[in-house]
Amino acid sequence: MQEINAYPQLAGWAVFHLLLFPGGLFALCAGLVFKGLDRKLEARLQRRVGPPVLQPFLDLIKLSGKEAMIPETAQRALFRIAPVLGFAGMAVCAALLPVPGVYSGLPMMGDMLVYFYLLPLPAVALILAGSSSSSPFGALGFSREMTIMFAYEIPLLMVILAVALQVGGGSGAEFSLGSIVAYQLEHGQFGLNWTLIPAFLAYLLFLPGTMGVPPFDIPEAETEIIEGPLLEYSGASLAFFQMTSALKTIVVLGFGVALFFPGTVPGGPVPNALWFLGKCFLLMFFSLTLVKSATGRFRVEQAFAFYLKYPTALAALSLVLVWANLYLL
Amino acid sequence: MGFLSNITVRSPWLYRINAGSCNGCDVELATTAFIPRFDVERLGCKYCGSPRHADIVFITGPLTLRVRDQVLRVWNEIPEPKITIAVGICPVSAGVFRGGHSIEGPVDRYIPVDVNVPGCPPRPQAIMEGVLLAKELWLKRLEELEAREKEVAHAALS
Repeated sequence: MQEINAYPQLAGWAVFHLLLFPGGLFALCAGLVFKGLDRKLEARLQRRVGPPVLQPFLDLIKLSGKEAMIPETAQRALFRIAPVLGFAGMAVCAALLPVPGVYSGLPMMGDMLVYFYLLPLPAVALILAGSSSSSPFGALGFSREMTIMFAYEIPLLMVILAVALQVGGGSGAEFSLGSIVAYQLEHGQFGLNWTLIPAFLAYLLFLPGTMGVPPFDIPEAETEIIEGPLLEYSGASLAFFQMTSALKTIVVLGFGVALFFPGTVPGGPVPNALWFLGKCFLLMFFSLTLVKSATGRFRVEQAFAFYLKYPTALAALSLVLVWANLYLL
Repeated sequence: MGFLSNITVRSPWLYRINAGSCNGCDVELATTAFIPRFDVERLGCKYCGSPRHADIVFITGPLTLRVRDQVLRVWNEIPEPKITIAVGICPVSAGVFRGGHSIEGPVDRYIPVDVNVPGCPPRPQAIMEGVLLAKELWLKRLEELEAREKEVAHAALS
């Protein structure tokens, strides 16, 4: 009986979390502001003036009013669905995002595994977009996206396993983000735990790859394969890709905060939400903005080799340390 | 609806078409974008790789016979409303190449040019002024479009 009564309430909250906080409006606005800060900071680092911080909002408004063209030879249905697919995946991810001290994720088991499956969805959307647009540049872009995706997913999986093993504490693995955050609030943050520091470094290296920023912007290289899969998109469809990217910024940064630095500050939900955003911002500055403004672009096989060497080695080291610490010592 | 148009013109994305240029003007365009002193990103501009994303298009070069059809094709791929800027003396009047056997220019024989930025090559300041003029024209064009839409809506109502 209790379960039946609890269900509509839970559904109501799920809609709230999906549309307003932390998913939907909150994540979208925060993501767009982060994108603007990223562009501004990059410009300042290169001693330029840079665009206004709210530029991504202006771009979205501009794009929504532009003519949307579909190439004659494209697979029309797939071409239209692809941007929405990536956006939907990221919207669900954002709704599951725990904001420590404010919101602990929807009460479900194994939402970290859901994350692992949903995080590549924007990349899959790009692959679909590239293959359905019937443009040779789109095809080049999607083959590059697939290659690099396979390389950066491996360290991510190992990072997730290391964290889950540590939280499981010798009796299996724990895949619920809520319990991972609760465990760290009780036992200390993983970013300061010597067995998990290599995993944190691996996650930092994973970030530029998954966000597609230099030196890993190989699939959308605008100067060599003229934006690859995005080449044929214009107007509102392109705006969807931009919103997906903004949501994904918050999702991957927030996921990193939840895994490694979920510490809270006293004073209720508002300071904690700001504290969470502040930590996300620091993570973005060091792993995305600095890297992006200081590097050129890898070739696809260099990026592939890079991901299979350093982040994978760091994540594997962390996995072994966690296992040894729990089962041998 | 003037509010939305005002926001729209603050996000002009730029695209370059090389219609047989000597690359001099293209270097100046790159300078305008990437040297701190002339940063066009402060106007909200961004160079985009795809003609489908563009709002303002720069054309350089005297439009040679060899690239004419390709230039027209790429120009037609740019979604409306778009503003065309001719950068350098070549697209404006075909310059010293005017009347040459392989020259189809000046560009406005084929494409309606909105802003001329003459010079060989033009200074970055001139190019930025061209972008500002293009923004004004773009705003005017958006407002005209809105007025026309309103008229159509009124006609449908009455």
